[in-house]
Formats: sequence, structure tokens, C-alpha cells
Amino acid sequence: MRISRTWSITLFLPFLICFILFLVLPLLYGLYISMHSWSVFGGNGGFVGLDNYTAILTPGNIYSNAFYLGLKNTLIFVAISVIPLVIISLGLALLVDSIPDKLKVYFRTIFFISYAVSVTAVSAIFKWLFTGNGGYVNNVLNTMGFSSINWLNEQPYAWVAILIATIWWTIGFNMILFINALDEVDQTMYEAASLDGANWWKKFSYITFPSIKGVFVFLTIVSVIASFNLYGQTLLITAGGPTQSTQSLIMIIQQMVFTQNNLGVGSAMAIVMGLIMVIIVATQYFYSFRNE
Amino acid sequence: MKKKFFLAMLLMIAMILSACGGGGGSGSSGQTADGKIVIKYINGFTGGDGDFMKKITDGFNESQDKYVVEESQEKDHYTKFKTGNYDLVVIHTDLLDTYRQDKMIQDISGVMETAGLSPEDFHPVGKDYVSFDDGVFAVPLDIHPMTMFFNKKLSPEAPATYDDLKTLSATLQQEDPNMFATGIPSAGLGEWFIMTMASQNGINLVEGNHMNFSQEKLADALMTYNDMIFKDKISPPGLGLDGEFQAFMKQVDEGNSSMQTATALTGPWYYGAVKETYGDDLGIASVPQLGTQPGVYGAGHTLALPASVQDDEKKAGIAEFLKYMYTPENLLNWADSGQAPTHLATMELVEQEAEKYPLSAQNIKQFESFKGAPKLYQYREQVRYVVENIYPKVVGEEGMTKEALMAELESATDQAKQVAETAPQ
Repeated sequence: MRISRTWSITLFLPFLICFILFLVLPLLYGLYISMHSWSVFGGNGGFVGLDNYTAILTPGNIYSNAFYLGLKNTLIFVAISVIPLVIISLGLALLVDSIPDKLKVYFRTIFFISYAVSVTAVSAIFKWLFTGNGGYVNNVLNTMGFSSINWLNEQPYAWVAILIATIWWTIGFNMILFINALDEVDQTMYEAASLDGANWWKKFSYITFPSIKGVFVFLTIVSVIASFNLYGQTLLITAGGPTQSTQSLIMIIQQMVFTQNNLGVGSAMAIVMGLIMVIIVATQYFYSFRNE
Repeated sequence: MKKKFFLAMLLMIAMILSACGGGGGSGSSGQTADGKIVIKYINGFTGGDGDFMKKITDGFNESQDKYVVEESQEKDHYTKFKTGNYDLVVIHTDLLDTYRQDKMIQDISGVMETAGLSPEDFHPVGKDYVSFDDGVFAVPLDIHPMTMFFNKKLSPEAPATYDDLKTLSATLQQEDPNMFATGIPSAGLGEWFIMTMASQNGINLVEGNHMNFSQEKLADALMTYNDMIFKDKISPPGLGLDGEFQAFMKQVDEGNSSMQTATALTGPWYYGAVKETYGDDLGIASVPQLGTQPGVYGAGHTLALPASVQDDEKKAGIAEFLKYMYTPENLLNWADSGQAPTHLATMELVEQEAEKYPLSAQNIKQFESFKGAPKLYQYREQVRYVVENIYPKVVGEEGMTKEALMAELESATDQAKQVAETAPQ
């Protein structure tokens, strides 16, 4: 079916307008603000060039201390979260894909439903579960004869708690995309491989993974971006502690803008954070497809 | 066809742009359909106290045919206030100087005068907070100092000193090793614990325009909390965010490893929850003296006039609302929530009916030894490093040394100086 040029423009234009209004213009405006001394309430205090960038990138002042602390914490979370988020969701998708069709729908729903829960509720649940003094997890550990762990006030346990909460909360989205990708794999290739005597791992390596590689790379990139945006869980479960070790870059930017009233420095931090994300994602993309 | 297409496009763009704009509701010059002038009032009373403030605003609205107060109770009301359009805002005492210097609020003395109020109508702890060289920048509402709740079943008398707490802990632990006299949290009320200790040791932390934490006396004083946890076993270790309250609410049963405390040094906003759990077994008292002199830290609420409010009609409406709110019989609703009003006439009524307003009456007694946040630009940011980084180490690291603490306190002072320098010139 051919769609006329007029219709294709008509259908595309709303997206283009939204893209410009909600992405391009705010980005350009953010760039503009980052080069000014700007207060949320007081407005523009004048052009300062690259001073805000110099302040956050030159070590030894309050802005750079906060920026590097937030960046370090965020990179730690990206490093520990992306692999489990992708691998566990792939594992679940393979499991769900291997069960009878009648049961699939139930398991898809069960795993996906957590994605529909708000971050506030997720955080409240996991804060209660991991509370050091009499929390559910510690009570289970005690019952099994293990001693309590100070989950939320000691590292690395605080990261473990946030990681488990994040995986439980977001795994359903990745899993559904993997399941859809697995549904598209040509079943005749598995039949041919079975005739050739290929085992499960060989089928996965030579048929399944190459067929879903595009989705795999996409989800890895999306997971990196999502992990960079860590905010609600650390704010509500650990409040950035213990000793500021789970204070994410977004939390720092929020403090800079709304507590310190410094929209200029906050915007500069957001722009630098965006650039770092672009570099990481572009590198990932390049390495994922360099052989093609 | 082309004409239709462009008309459709125009309509679509107009719809998107109209969806992007507006959203502010009735603006600062808003009126209701029946011609009443709207006063947009924002506060952060999302806990149990919100219902009591609502009683006051509802009462005012029922009494009025000219003005209507639209109250918004928001969890993070400061962010909403900065990005919205409001006529009256509740500001904590420790933020007043910052909001004044950033020109977000204006001198409210004219409105107070119209309402028949003067700073002299308030207890000095409230009056001093709102009075600056260039005017009166808010109307004092309450002071909420650190309070002690105690479980009368575990501690029939309120412990009043460090030694009392030590004895209580030893007695309780003979019964059950998981019971303690009190709980020192690692986060949440960290600032209150630090500043109460400074106050009880007579330490002045203000130097010029910034906080000076690098003082040997402060290091010694803060080490008291380390001793309370690791040496004298007055508090269990590793109590997390709001751990002082959580541990007070726990019940130690057989086979349960939860730590329970007999007292909680905490904020009065937990009054509703502890009252519900303990009923007649709940005791309320002043915080014990852990240092060399009496002293207690806390915060307070004030009502401020946003700088954007210029309309005289609106100001007259705000004055009318203040006049209603600060009628002692009406402000008693606020005392009913557990908050301690600083309005002298209302304080008198609270003291007369201390049994009806036990928490409020108890906290009014603490006004004499109350020492709140100093008037400094970005005070909260100046103390952030100490509260979020140093305090958790003091209460979390067994074997923490004074030398290590002093090095950290010097970093904290350096950060506080830098924050102070960001003040508008």
C-alpha cells in the first residue's frame, strides 16, 4: 500500500513538532542557560561564557566536587546495573519463550506488571524489605541462622539493594522486547540445527543471538541511558547515603537547580552529562556493529 | 486539498501550543466565578499536621464572602513555589535568610500591620527569626524543636541526662540485649543531632558569613554520639534513615532480632504515629542534657509574602487571612496538631490547657533553651557536607578518631565558606 506524500507529511508532522518543542528547543535553551548566571527565581543574571563549565570541570571547588561525586556514583551504578538488566531479562525471555503458549501470557504479565508500579511505591517496598533494623530480608536471614546486614547504611550493600530494586522494577520492559524479538526468529533454522545435532548453546550462539542482536544492542543502549538517569530509587531508598555514596548526578543537578538556585551551573552539569552519555552510547554502537 | 491540509496543520500546531502553555490555574490576579479574590497558599504540610492547617483555611473560607484561600499541600513545596505563582508561602526558619537575599520574598510588615499583628506579638524565638535589618520577612508560625518521646512501660520517668540514659540502657539490656535507651540515626535528623550537641556544649559555629566546623570542641562534642553507640551502648549501631523513630516503634519479641528503644529524640511530626501506637503509655519530655548545658535544636515554620505579590487587594486578603489565623482560638488548631505556636496569646491558651495540647505545651517549655539555625545564606548547603558525610561516619564507624574527624571538619568549613561566597552581592 502506498501512502500519499500529503498523508505521510500529515502523519509525521506532529512527531516533528513535538520533537522540536520538547527536545530540540529545551536542549538549545539549556545550552544558552548554561552560559549564563541564572537563578530559578531571579532569572538571567548575565552572560558568563564557559565559566560554569570551567567551575564544574576544574577540581577543588564545591561545584566540581559535587559534579565528580555524582558522576562517579552514577558510573558505578551504570557499571553494575547494565549487564544484569540485559542478561537477566534475556534469560527470563528465553525461559518464558520455552514454556507452552497457553502459560506464556501469564508469565509475561507477572514479570511485566512491576514495570507499571511507580518509583515511589517501589522504593517504599524495598526500603521496608531492606531496612537494617527488623526489615523483612534481615528477618529471613536471621531465621536461616545468618546475621543481619546493614543494607541501606553500608556499602556495597546499599548498591546491592538499589540494584535489586531497579532490576525488579524495570526488568519487565526489557523482557517483553526480547520475547517479541524471539518470536520473530525463523523456527525452521532450529529444526535444521536439530537435524544437524546442535545442542542448546550452539542454537543460541548461531541462531538465536544473531537474530536478536539488534534488540540486544538497543536494550543495552537504553539500559545505559536509564541507569544514567538514576534518581528516584536513591532519593527515596537511601537518600543518597551512606556518606553521599549513592548520590547520583541527577540528584546533584536537582540540588544545584532547586536548592542552590543555580540554574546556570545545573544546566552546564546536565549538558556535560548528556555529552558523556552520547560518547558512551556512540562507542557502544560503534563496537556492536563494527564487523557489519 | 492544499488549503485543507494547511488548515489541519495550523489547527494541530495551535492545539499543541495551547497544551504547552497555561496550566497555572488561577494566577495571582485570579478570581473565582462568584467574584471572590483567590489567595494561593502553598505549604509542605503533607503529614498529619496538614489536616489541622486545612481546618484553619476551611474555617477562614467559610467566614468569607470576599476572599478565598486555595491551599496546596505539597511534599516538595519549595520547588513548586519557585516554579509557580503563589501569594503566600510557608518557609522554614533556616531558609528565610536565603529566600530574603535571593529576593524571593518581601517585607511583610505592612500586611502584618493591616492584620493587626506586630513582631512583639510573638515569643522572641519566633520574632528574632523573621526580623532583619531591612524589614520583617515573615510571620512566625511555630517552632518545632527536637522532642523526646518515651515508652512509659520501659522507662516510667523521662531520662534527663547522659547518665540517666546510660543507666536505662544497662537496665533494659539485662532483660533483653536488643533493647536500648535511645536511638541515634545515621541519617534524617543528622543536622538536629549535630546542632543539639553543639548547642549543649556552648559552641558557636558561626564565623562571619559562614559555618566554622573546624573546632576541637565540636569534634569532642560529636564524639559523644560515637561513645553512646560503641562505648556506652546507649543506642544500637547501624540505625539508618529515621532510625531513631523506627527503633522506638519496633517491638522486641522472642526470636526477633529487631532493636527496640525506650525513647526517641525526634521531630514532633511523628506525634500522631507514636500516640496511636503507645496511647496512654506515651510520655513526652524535653531532650536530655547530653553536653555541659541545656540546649535543643530544631526548626520552625513561618508565613512569607512572595516578592511577586504587588496587588493591594491581594495583600488586603492575605492580611484578612492572617488576622483569622492568628486569632488564638483558630491558631489552637495548629497546637492540636502537636506544633508549638510562637504567638504569645495562643501560647498562653496552650499552657492553660496543657493536658489537651501535651506536645505543644512540652515544646513551649523548650523555647527557653532553643537555639535554631543561624541566619546565613544557603545555610542548608553550608551544613550539607557535615550532615551527609561526616555525621554518618561519626555514628557509623567504631574506632573513629578525633584526628580523622578534625580533618573532615576542616573540609566541611572550606565548603561552607565557598557556599557563603555565592551570596548575591
